[in-house]
Amino acid sequence: MNKTPSLKLHDVTKRYGSHVALGGVSLEVPQGSIFGLLGPNGAGKTTLIRMVAGITGPDEGEISFFGESLSSEHISSLGYLPEERGLYKNMRVGEQVMYFARLRGMGKQEAEKETKEWFERLEVDGWWDKEVADLSKGMAQKIQFIVAVLHKPKFLILDEPLSGFDPINASRIRTEINRLRDEFGTTILLSTHDMSSVDELCDHVALIDNGIKILEGPVNTLRENARAGRIELKFRGNLISFTAALGAGAILHEALSHGDNIHDVVLGLPSSIPIEEFLKWVTSVVDVLSCTPKVVSMDEVFLRAVKTASNTEPS
Amino acid sequence: MNRWLIVVGREYKTRVRKRAFILSTLLGPFLMVGIVVVMAFLAISTNETDSKVLIVDHNNLLTYNLPGEEGQRLPSCPECFPERDFLEYRFASKALDTQEFLESDFTAMVELDDGIMQSAKALLKYESAAPTKVKSAVKRDLGEAIERLRVQNESALDYEAYKKLKVRIGLVTQNIITEDKNIENRSGIGFVFSIFMFMFIMIYGMHVMRGVIEEKSNRIVEVVISVVKPELLMGAKMAGIGLVGLTQIAVWSLLSWLLFLGFGFYAESSGLLLNLMNEQETQLAATDFMTFVESDSDLGVLLQVNWGIMLGWGAFFYIAGFALYSSLFAAIGAAVEQESDAQYLLLPATLPLMFSYIVNIFIIESPDSTLATFCSFFPFTSPITMMVKLSVGVPWWHVVLSALILIMTVYLMVKMAGKIYRTGILMYGKKPSLREMSRWLMYKNK
Repeated sequence: MNKTPSLKLHDVTKRYGSHVALGGVSLEVPQGSIFGLLGPNGAGKTTLIRMVAGITGPDEGEISFFGESLSSEHISSLGYLPEERGLYKNMRVGEQVMYFARLRGMGKQEAEKETKEWFERLEVDGWWDKEVADLSKGMAQKIQFIVAVLHKPKFLILDEPLSGFDPINASRIRTEINRLRDEFGTTILLSTHDMSSVDELCDHVALIDNGIKILEGPVNTLRENARAGRIELKFRGNLISFTAALGAGAILHEALSHGDNIHDVVLGLPSSIPIEEFLKWVTSVVDVLSCTPKVVSMDEVFLRAVKTASNTEPS
Repeated sequence: MNRWLIVVGREYKTRVRKRAFILSTLLGPFLMVGIVVVMAFLAISTNETDSKVLIVDHNNLLTYNLPGEEGQRLPSCPECFPERDFLEYRFASKALDTQEFLESDFTAMVELDDGIMQSAKALLKYESAAPTKVKSAVKRDLGEAIERLRVQNESALDYEAYKKLKVRIGLVTQNIITEDKNIENRSGIGFVFSIFMFMFIMIYGMHVMRGVIEEKSNRIVEVVISVVKPELLMGAKMAGIGLVGLTQIAVWSLLSWLLFLGFGFYAESSGLLLNLMNEQETQLAATDFMTFVESDSDLGVLLQVNWGIMLGWGAFFYIAGFALYSSLFAAIGAAVEQESDAQYLLLPATLPLMFSYIVNIFIIESPDSTLATFCSFFPFTSPITMMVKLSVGVPWWHVVLSALILIMTVYLMVKMAGKIYRTGILMYGKKPSLREMSRWLMYKNK
């Protein structure tokens, strides 16, 4: 499947005065993916998102949207939920949602129908005539989410979509994000600090730090790379004779001994040694209870990449 | 529907449906008329207590003794001291002493002697000041009585013949070029226009600033400008709010006109008009309200003003002046995060507006002075000053030139404000200095 990427940034640079907010970032967001945009505070995520949302433009470089140069014609194909978000206080809830739907190019009847459906789905029906001032923070968040997705955008930008939600509603929103991708093929650019939601939702990620992209790729590949052949092994037997048996073939990274001669170890296995062979070899020395590839959380991937980047960065 | 119009619609609708707006729009003219009526009523009601004035004629100049009735004197010229419903005369040749006066029911005591023939002065004594209306009636009546006496003493004419000869000169002024007459009176109408101009530009300009600050501080602006370009959003906000102002102006004008006609109808049908005319001693046969207004020296000006020109140009100068100032206010709103931070920027921005408002008082006096001419061309003051100039008449090229200067300034101002707006609206945290804001003007439009 060689589809045009939904979003492609080519060498995009943005400066504010002398400050370089983004310095030559290139990345591709595959169609129908949930693409995590990660990075510490001040890394340039908001700048990137604002450019994709059409609020600002790049000083240099190009942004293409489904193969076309990004322009105001794509407004109705874009949905945007900013991190800092609000609603008009002097409007009623339903009226407000309708206003944004119509700004995104929806007809009145269609907008009304869609709004009602979303209100039901997120259990906010009956709020149509409520004053925005009467809404709790969580309620307002739901309305803002609806505003972003109502017009069925092909491309949805969600900046910290889960912040401010209680766990129950956060999981409901997560379900909705997945449903949008699965049912409508919506591509979602998700910027977040919450690594657990990256683990759960994203299939691709890019990591930005100091205005520079330092990592990009499918989540599984990145995890696999970060795993670097490490496996977790649980065995019963003597740790010293186990270590001796490893020899130079594999590296022992961590070891945790429990009672009863049971040990948990993390091993680095070179790719030249197939795991089946390695297992045959160690079972002759110790009693192997379990063997799994080491699970690397995105948190770890993230921290490692930032660390490597700051070490190699010329200062 | 065009996105821009959707935004304009929101700005307009959310404001005109507010209860405060509806009430002030519908009640405004009634309130103003009400204030005038209350003031008039208060003025009348103080006059309504009957005044009793004692004329003390020390040298028996104007009075004679009724035979048989000691002390009770009568005027030699009864028609000089007519019966009025608010004033009653009594005559005596000896003054009351203070105690007697205080115990009596006289409002005032007027003492006169031979000297009045030369000095034309009499002494009015009172405990609490007599109403102006009473004083002027006394002055007029005494004046006529003394006049009669002088005519009788010093000429061969009888008084009626003298009265016919007497003239009072009025000046009808006319501009030699435009041939316009009595233009000074009309400047009052221009002044009223300029007061409203100032009021509406100020009130609705502040609405624009508050709207911008609201959108910025609650962060909704980020979603909106992902759909509508910042400059367009600013323009739509200005247009929507400007329309709210126009709506209010239109409703006020219409209601005032209806009130005026309504009053006319009431005055005609209730006979009030006849009363008004009698009091003015007008000899008009017609009882038509419009004829009355036309003939009245104060109200007549209402019909001399060219309302088409005033309203047409008034609308233009409101729209342009509002665009000028509200774009300035929008830029200020975008630069700050809360209204209280805007104060230091608002003062320099509103200074020319305040200035033109204050200077107007001099401009009414001499609408052709250099100051007036300068202010009517200078774009930051012309919307206000031009209203006065228009009411008294101004060469057409003068207005057109002033309008062109204003339009060009509005164009530049809106462009500059748009640049400050688009940068400021996404800046959070620190309060920008004027220098920093001027740097925003240099940012590329991307």
